[in-house]
Amino acid sequence: MKLRAALVLISIAAFSAAGVHAAGTTHAVRIEGMKFIPERLEVAAGDTVVWTNKDFLPHSVTAREARVESGDLAPNESWRFTARKQGEMPYICRLHPVMKGVLVVK
Amino acid sequence: MNFSKIAVGLAASLFLVAASAQDKGGPSDPQIAGIVVAANQIDINAGKLAKARTKNKEVSEFAQRMITDHTAVNKQASALVKKLKVKPVDSATSKSLKSAAGKNVANLKTLKGAAFDKAYTDNEVAYHQQVLDAIDKVLIPSARNAELKDLITKVRPAIAAHLDHAKMIQSSLAKK
Repeated sequence: MKLRAALVLISIAAFSAAGVHAAGTTHAVRIEGMKFIPERLEVAAGDTVVWTNKDFLPHSVTAREARVESGDLAPNESWRFTARKQGEMPYICRLHPVMKGVLVVK
Repeated sequence: MNFSKIAVGLAASLFLVAASAQDKGGPSDPQIAGIVVAANQIDINAGKLAKARTKNKEVSEFAQRMITDHTAVNKQASALVKKLKVKPVDSATSKSLKSAAGKNVANLKTLKGAAFDKAYTDNEVAYHQQVLDAIDKVLIPSARNAELKDLITKVRPAIAAHLDHAKMIQSSLAKK
C-alpha cells in the first residue's frame, strides 16, 4: 500500500512537472511607434506570447493564414497567444497593414 | 488635372510653412497647435466624404482608419493644449491648408466610382507626404514646448504608416 501511495505521488509530481514545462515561457512583444518590437520573435511550441499596445491608436495581431486574430487592441490593452504549431507565422496589424511581424515557433 | 492644381496648392501651403519658419524662427506654439488640429480635421473630413462615396472595400476601410486615427490624434492634441493652456490659433499656414483641402473636397465631389477612389487615394498619398515633410522640417524644429514637441514626435510614425498604407492602396487600385 505504501509503495502504491508513493508511486501515485511520484506520478502526480511527474505530471505536474510536465504540466509546468508544457505551459512554457512567456514572451513579450511591445506595439509602439507603429511597430512590433521585436519584429521577429522565436519561441518554443507551448510558449505564450503577450502583445501589449503602447501606442495611442488601436492595433491588432492578425495572421490570416494561421487564422489568428486578436481583435482590436485599445491603447495599453494586451493579448495572449499560446503558440502550438511549429513554423513561421507572419502577422500584420489588420488596421495598419504596413505593420508586420513574424512569430517563429520551434 | 484638378488633382495637380490641388497638389500645387498643397505644396504652396507647405512652402508658406517653410518660408515663415525661415523668416520668423518658425511658427509659434499656438500656431503649431492650430496647424496640427487643422491638418487632422482636414483628413477626417476627406475620410468622411470617401466613406460615404466609395464602393471599394479597401478604400472604405482606409477612410475609416483615417477618421479613427486622426480623431485620436486630435483628442491627444486637445488634451495637451488644455493642459498647457495654449489656445490653437490660425496662421497663414493653417488657412492655406484649409483652403487647399476645400478645393480637394470640391474636386472629389465631382467624381464617382474608380475616378473618385483614385483621386482620393492620390490626394491621401500627397497629403501625408506633405504633412510628414512639415513635421520634420518645421513643426518639430519650431515647437518650443517639450510636451508639444513630444506629441508631434509620437504622431510622426502614424503619419508615415498612413503614407505607406495609402501607397499600398494606390498600387492595388492601379492593378484593377
